[in-house]
Amino acid sequence: MNPELDLTLERVIRAPRAAVWLAWTDPSRFEQWWIPSPLTCRVDRLEVRPGGAMVTRMSEDGTNFVPHMDASFLVVEDRERLVFTNAIDSTWRPANPQPVAMTAEITLSDHPDGTNYHVTVTHADPQARAHHEQLGFLEGWGTVTDQLAEIAESQGR
Amino acid sequence: MANYLAALDEVFVALADPTRREVVRHLGRGPKSVGDLAREFPMTLPSFLKHVRTLEASGLISTAKSGRVRTCELRRDRLAVVDDWLADQRRIWEERTDRLESLVTDPKEQS
Repeated sequence: MNPELDLTLERVIRAPRAAVWLAWTDPSRFEQWWIPSPLTCRVDRLEVRPGGAMVTRMSEDGTNFVPHMDASFLVVEDRERLVFTNAIDSTWRPANPQPVAMTAEITLSDHPDGTNYHVTVTHADPQARAHHEQLGFLEGWGTVTDQLAEIAESQGR
Repeated sequence: MANYLAALDEVFVALADPTRREVVRHLGRGPKSVGDLAREFPMTLPSFLKHVRTLEASGLISTAKSGRVRTCELRRDRLAVVDDWLADQRRIWEERTDRLESLVTDPKEQS
């Protein structure tokens, strides 16, 4: 876990593990929460097994769909754990997803009130960062950050 | 999402120049006319306008003309692009989890 690249979140969901698992693995349910409305999500492939494909598309108008996620499952443990990554696409081809490649691990465990839902997402170094360095921006960056702080503070006045 | 990196490029390029950062800083205090801004910088008006156009192209500022005065305004939403990509990812996952939670706790779903 690298705090500059990775994130975790934990939530107690007041529903049984089986329901949470179903929401992740049943395409018609997955479509309902994966992408925020008003965007529409369409699941092309959701093969919940190690090496299986996870391919979703999204649409603004419900008619024209554009690619959203093209990933592969790495680990699938029934009602307990899901790991997938978009660093390789659904055909296992090494990918270069934007804005940054990630591996997400979802774990479910029992909780007196339902399900303890835990997410860990690890990220590659984003290209933005490399780009940032290419620009010779490192020195200037401190200044920008100061200025951003100043701007934010001036708003408070 | 596909345009995210293109947006980052433009914003970083725009902010890579000290004059343009200074313009952003000035506009942080509120909208200003091009003329008023230009007076703060030791350069010709055409050179200054180039910077304004770069900032505008990056989406960091917007400009609007009223009569003979062109006013510049900072677009804070664009500035947020440089803020923190990781915070962005966190927000996406938090909101995703909110939606998952509301789906699986929906009474209709239980049946």
